[in-house]
Amino acid sequence: MNKNVIRSQRLGEEYLRIDHPTGLTMLLCPMKGFSSAYAMFGTKLGSVDTTFKTDEDKDFVTVPEGIAHFLEHKLFESEEGDAFERYAKTGASANAYTSFDRTSYLFSCTDRFEESMEILLDFVTHPYFTQATVEKEQGIIGQEIRMYDDDPEWRVMFNLLGALYAKHPVRIDIAGTVESIAQIDADLLYRSYRTFYNLHNMVLVVAGNFDPEVVVRLADKILKPAPPLTIQRKSPEELPQVHQRRVEQKLEVATPIFEVGFKGTPSTPAENVKRQVLDEILLEIIAGESSPLYRRLYDEGLINATFEYEVMGGRDYLAPLCEGESRDPDQVFAQLCSEVERLRREGIDPEAFQRCKRASYGRYIGMFGRVEAVAGLMMQTHFAGMENMYQLVDWVADATLEELTQRLWEDFDPQRAALSVISPAREG
Amino acid sequence: MNRMLSREPVGQGVFFSSVSDPKFKHNRISVRWIMPLEEESASANALVPFLLRKGCRSCPDFTQLEERLCSLYGASLGADTSKFGGYQMMGVWIQSIDNRFAIDGMDIAGESARLLADIAFDPKMGEDGLFDAKDFQLEKTFLLDAIASEINDKRGYAISRCVELMCAGEPQAIRRYGTLEQAKGVTPQDAARAYNRMMKEASIEILFVGCGDPVPVKELFRGIFQGKERSAVDYLPCPRKERGGEPRETVEPMEVAQGKLVLGLRTGPAIPQQENGPMRMMAALLGGTPSSLLFANVREKMSLCYYCAARYDTVTGLMLIDSGIEGANKQAACDAILAQLEAVQKGDFADDVLEATRLAMVNALRTTGDSLGGIESWYLSQILQGEEAAPVEEIAKFQKVTREEVVEAANQVTLDTIYFLAPAGQKEEACHE
Repeated sequence: MNKNVIRSQRLGEEYLRIDHPTGLTMLLCPMKGFSSAYAMFGTKLGSVDTTFKTDEDKDFVTVPEGIAHFLEHKLFESEEGDAFERYAKTGASANAYTSFDRTSYLFSCTDRFEESMEILLDFVTHPYFTQATVEKEQGIIGQEIRMYDDDPEWRVMFNLLGALYAKHPVRIDIAGTVESIAQIDADLLYRSYRTFYNLHNMVLVVAGNFDPEVVVRLADKILKPAPPLTIQRKSPEELPQVHQRRVEQKLEVATPIFEVGFKGTPSTPAENVKRQVLDEILLEIIAGESSPLYRRLYDEGLINATFEYEVMGGRDYLAPLCEGESRDPDQVFAQLCSEVERLRREGIDPEAFQRCKRASYGRYIGMFGRVEAVAGLMMQTHFAGMENMYQLVDWVADATLEELTQRLWEDFDPQRAALSVISPAREG
Repeated sequence: MNRMLSREPVGQGVFFSSVSDPKFKHNRISVRWIMPLEEESASANALVPFLLRKGCRSCPDFTQLEERLCSLYGASLGADTSKFGGYQMMGVWIQSIDNRFAIDGMDIAGESARLLADIAFDPKMGEDGLFDAKDFQLEKTFLLDAIASEINDKRGYAISRCVELMCAGEPQAIRRYGTLEQAKGVTPQDAARAYNRMMKEASIEILFVGCGDPVPVKELFRGIFQGKERSAVDYLPCPRKERGGEPRETVEPMEVAQGKLVLGLRTGPAIPQQENGPMRMMAALLGGTPSSLLFANVREKMSLCYYCAARYDTVTGLMLIDSGIEGANKQAACDAILAQLEAVQKGDFADDVLEATRLAMVNALRTTGDSLGGIESWYLSQILQGEEAAPVEEIAKFQKVTREEVVEAANQVTLDTIYFLAPAGQKEEACHE
């Protein structure tokens, strides 16, 4: 069993990487003074994995949209009852989520860590589905989908992704649709499970109050060696251009809600994480609260305090996004694009660069002070193929004006930007 | 090191409380003005934190202020208003990383504290005694937007509509920002008056949570209030109705895909904080965890919904149960929820579920101390209820709750109001014959 300590000089902190003989990578970060432990068992399967095969399968299979999320729900069940009932006996707070490119099962506890960890390792590695349990879940997830149908912030984002991407599956809703999940059956769930829930494709991360030896002992006891495998994923070719410039939907909202996205230039998964970090600094320079653009838009009453921005990045996609409420979303979009044009023409203000870099540095340092954030960072960086999560801070600290200028040209092209608007159903 | 609350007055009606814990990487300081919720003043009060957030005398320009936050290593400065029972809490707060991470030896904690103190207590008001006219116009417009936008979050909207209908005439029916009509009528004079009144009459609670040294921060605030005459209001318990009468039902149609059902219930006479363990356990057992009766039955067994939850507010004594469902399933969901409440009232639940609820509550209490925000809101709530107990001190309270006490608590619960935000065009039948 290979054990490595991964350190950060800057923070004076470290975590442990263990390559378990079963094929599972474990990243363990005990944190002094905390009462809780936060554990996540994750697999590199998300909503974008719609067509795939292993080296043992003859043909690719295309699965219904939303299957990764459906599988996440179903894995909580076993012949002996569901995992929530088992966690109920330990007091742990358990949950799971599916994103575009991963699924993770988590718990947070302050006591009886060993029992909860045993439950986590056990239920995720023991699938059990029948036609009856699949049908029952269709009702529950159907209501989850309906809930999101009424959520303007969710809708504005997926409409935007549908405008930015013509074919990439990042454009489809993570939970699928009521129609697509109706096509899911036990066989398809098993095929997805066999492909992606192989320990070589998974990671176990734990942060906070726990003893790493307990985790190793339980892994030895519960996990079985997984055969090495290669997963091939097929994604339709996505052109650099946006699919649509503008999309609009009417919903019961008061003021129009908008989201603007730039279709960035993705690279390898690790490089995408770096680009995400740099693009965040850039977004702050372009549209952050201290920027001239923000001031102008705010003073003109075009945006309000709901305005925010983030960079969405993953395995093979990258998109800087800005969202908020506005009486005139098209005007915000136009001004955002022309500010990007101006910066491309005149260059980035070195003072703004230093200021926003410093702010970003403080925020990244701060992330290492929360157990759930540390667990999340370990998982994100591992799945991106990075060996050290502290590298994120170094990327910020070492960022140069040249790097940011290059990102400005590659990830912020006004010609490759789109606007999504949710407008009030009733004139008011 | 002091992980427990340390609290002392730093002025008349002004308290400074702190919790220090070296495990954190941040310091968080908040200032809250606590006023009774009143219809006439709610909107003007709510406008104040947004106006303060625009700048202060030492840093009057908004962009300059934001630049300063960046130079404080990305410190975040927040401002908002919330409700606590019959009180309205206006607040501003700052959170920044600890001095040990500064590359240039900056006193981040000290500068953050000074900036917050200026924002809260040295606003940029003109010679006319008013807030900047342009700031006022913009922030008033945005307050109106924020009130109108409550509709965007359908689950939250349905809950506040239910409370509004249920508690008409009681302070908790008043929304945290007031209504559109009230907000429309707020003048620049009203906003200035609201701030001056807050400075004179509000109870002011300053909280420091983090890894740094609270003493210089405390002295900074003490200096500000030295020799200031104030007449702060005392915290009074929120008036409450003990029982619901004949349940009232309101159905409001809207263009939505999913219906939102909210049941508003009353929980009997006020309970001293030390004795509210059984009622809180009862609410959690009914619908506060994934092993609760509502989750296990309405969601897992009947597949009626994705969420069905119960929450109990110790201050107002309101219990709210809500669920997102198909319009056609309203009757079934309503019956199913009330059947689970009846099950608790009859003691018809497994010992396992009771123990699971207890464990989940203890776990949540122990986890509270792991986040700055968690610690802050915990102690704020304690202070407003006249207590100072640490989260772990509450554990004993739940350890001793018995099945009989839970059943007894459930029998105090009566249905008051049913609210349904109905998908337009779908027909439902009344919940109650």
